Amino acid sequence: MDELELLKKDWNKQSEHKKLSAKEIYPMLHKKSSSIVKMLFYISIGELVLWILINCIPYTFSDAYKQRIESIYSNNYLFAALTVFGYGIILLFIYLLFKSHKAISVTDNAKKLMESILRTRKIVKYYVIYNLVMAFISMAVGSYFFIFHSPELSDSISHLNNKQLIIMFGITLGITAVFVFAIWLFYKLIYGWLLKRLNRNYKELQKLED
Amino acid sequence: MNKEPEHSFVELLEKHQNIIHKVCRLYTNNYDAHNDLFQEITIQLWKAYPKFRGDSKFSTWMYRVGLNTAITLYRKSKRTIATQGFDGVEFKMKAETYDDTEEQQLKTMYNALHQLNDIDKALVFLYLEDKDYSEISETMGISEVNARVKMNRIKTKLKTILNP
Repeated sequence: MDELELLKKDWNKQSEHKKLSAKEIYPMLHKKSSSIVKMLFYISIGELVLWILINCIPYTFSDAYKQRIESIYSNNYLFAALTVFGYGIILLFIYLLFKSHKAISVTDNAKKLMESILRTRKIVKYYVIYNLVMAFISMAVGSYFFIFHSPELSDSISHLNNKQLIIMFGITLGITAVFVFAIWLFYKLIYGWLLKRLNRNYKELQKLED
Repeated sequence: MNKEPEHSFVELLEKHQNIIHKVCRLYTNNYDAHNDLFQEITIQLWKAYPKFRGDSKFSTWMYRVGLNTAITLYRKSKRTIATQGFDGVEFKMKAETYDDTEEQQLKTMYNALHQLNDIDKALVFLYLEDKDYSEISETMGISEVNARVKMNRIKTKLKTILNP
């Protein structure tokens, strides 16, 4: 006999877990969910806010920084265009993030639900990559201007020989790599912890369709 | 606030709660974890309730939300022991000691069921709940053919456990 048929016969006879009364169910409706979608939502909001703060705080609170930036971007139109572009990208990400969060529906089939959660996570990932790339470019452009706007520094650099220049370049590259690696590790840990089970189950479902 | 939907929801849930208990029993292995998952499924059902249209049966709808919560949304608490992969060796050892009584056989089966991975568990669960393959495939988002193939594989796995 089919073993599962035997199990099936028994399945509905299983002793019931203590049946909950309506009185016990009511308070449950108002408890806080601890689902991964909620966690993901908070993390993405945190992500948005964090990077906006990183971009804005030095500019808002430090007059010296503001002046420096403004002197670098002596062309005001370029500065305005870059600012508008930056905010435009942030708004675009906010829009995409909310749209994909709204698309997560627990009443979809299992595979579709997993896919919409993974899509949301991907948007956060792109947002972070965008910010890292921008941070990298700003750092590169910033140091270029810093060096060439500061006479002492450009003077001392011109005295360096090729070997010293390469070492300096190497050190800068190393520091940047460590910085990017640390951020990458941080995300890997957060999302790895949050989505480990989802990823495993999604792979399992995909395997079925191969 | 209008209490009417809340009232009708609780009434329906109270009536069909055994479905959720069965999901919890399959995906958790102690009392606290069971209650945790039950709570989360209830929250998810309640959140999705405004979108529930009477055109599908409440119980059918519960299967989907219940399984989705168990497989995807629920973050296992520390109190829940993680699902292990299917370990045939372990079962062979267990099966050696079993005698032929039906009760023992069932015990071994439940044991095996608990060690299937999350997706296999969901398939077996729907099968045990007498869902046909079209419903299984719709709930899981896989094709009907693949659901059938997978179910047959699970059956073979279980057979091996019982008749090593």
